[in-house]
Amino acid sequence: MRKNAKRLIMVGMLGTLFIFGLMGVSLAEKPTYIVASDIAWPPFEMVDAQGNYVGFDLDVMREIAKLEGYNIKIVDVAFDSIIPGVVSGKYDIGASGFTITEKRDKVVDFSKPYWSSDQAILIRKDSGLNIITALSQGHTVGAQRGTTGASWIKDNLIKKGVNVKLKVYETYPMAVLDLLNGNIDAVIQDEPASRASLAKEKNIEMAGIIITGEQFGFLVKEGDPKGILPKINDGMAKLKASGKWDKLVEKYFGK
Amino acid sequence: MSLLSLIKEISPQLLEGTLVTLQLTGFAISLGFVIGMFLALGRLYGRGPVRKFCIGYIEFFRGTPLLVQLFIVYYGLPRYGIKVPSIVAALLGLGLNSAAYQAEYFRGAIQSIDEGQMMAARALGMKKLQAILNILIPQALRIVIPSWSNELIYTLKYSSVAYIIGAPELMAQAKFIAAENFRYFEVFLVVAFIYLVIVSLLSWILRIIENRVRIPGLQTS
Repeated sequence: MRKNAKRLIMVGMLGTLFIFGLMGVSLAEKPTYIVASDIAWPPFEMVDAQGNYVGFDLDVMREIAKLEGYNIKIVDVAFDSIIPGVVSGKYDIGASGFTITEKRDKVVDFSKPYWSSDQAILIRKDSGLNIITALSQGHTVGAQRGTTGASWIKDNLIKKGVNVKLKVYETYPMAVLDLLNGNIDAVIQDEPASRASLAKEKNIEMAGIIITGEQFGFLVKEGDPKGILPKINDGMAKLKASGKWDKLVEKYFGK
Repeated sequence: MSLLSLIKEISPQLLEGTLVTLQLTGFAISLGFVIGMFLALGRLYGRGPVRKFCIGYIEFFRGTPLLVQLFIVYYGLPRYGIKVPSIVAALLGLGLNSAAYQAEYFRGAIQSIDEGQMMAARALGMKKLQAILNILIPQALRIVIPSWSNELIYTLKYSSVAYIIGAPELMAQAKFIAAENFRYFEVFLVVAFIYLVIVSLLSWILRIIENRVRIPGLQTS
């Protein structure tokens, strides 16, 4: 009996090892990278009517994964939690319309830039404000926490003594909702996302654009320990060469 | 950047947030105290509809997450023309929520007083309201201190969810700073320390009060 039991345990252990071995092999063949994105930012990342994660960034991520032979798992994460999550190794790639900035570049590594954008100022149609008055006279500007728009208001206006208040939100739609509700006077956000809001909401308009010339990049952990960046850069080049890139641009941005 | 210089750099903003947190907690706990006392009395001594309203209120606010209540007040009500700044929404949400809990603590304290006292008071010719105000409440307020101090501490800590509707309290300031400098570990360590200091201070003060106003001969703990 005891001998049998021992044998059984041995067989069980070997079996387990075998299974883990197989898993190891399959993992080694096709790694899975976790892609973190703040999926409330159309047209770069959004949820479609069926509940799927779609958007320009995410489709590009999927196409590159196909081309470069790895799997991805997309997770929805608050924007300001993506970089800390990538730094701590919880996520492998950040794909959420990240502007390449010096501050961010100190803690993560960026891919080659893939998009350029400026900041747009949204106001309510009935507010009677313009881009100058909306950003002064003690008005409150909403922005998503951790975005370059929030930093712009703080660094270029508040720190220089302009009489404007900044209110930050967990997600971009919350800021727009608060603008519609009349709790704030304006919202600063990247131009493409602002245009997506304009298309959806009738009571807001664009007061103007602040030319910041920001470049978006995908980001990975500092030093790229898993060697993901070359694959992303290579995949982007391939997508552009094959014309697939332009098709995705057309799909999400029209033109 | 060393930890010390980081703390030096972020402390003015965190201090600002701490002040808002303290104000928020102070107003919310006071609002909750007043409403909670009425709710407790209404639930214990009110007639039909009053009693039912009090029970309904308590069940609603205890049965739904504070976060949900804050979203209703701040993002939901403006659609029906009720607009409040985020700090006021946070204060209302926290206060109305705390009222439900405080009501139950008060009710427990009042019910722990021997029924004979009420009977004795009535026998001496006091009206019911007089007996409640002069005999029951003064004792209940002392008996309730240990459990009420829990509520105070909870309210202080729960005020941190107000960041989500944009109230510029401690948590909101910390998230804002961390989103800019990416020093999450250090920033939130400092924030945890601030909360800990305030909570310790509050429980210390409440313990002193509890000992001062102890009812001689009555074991409450």
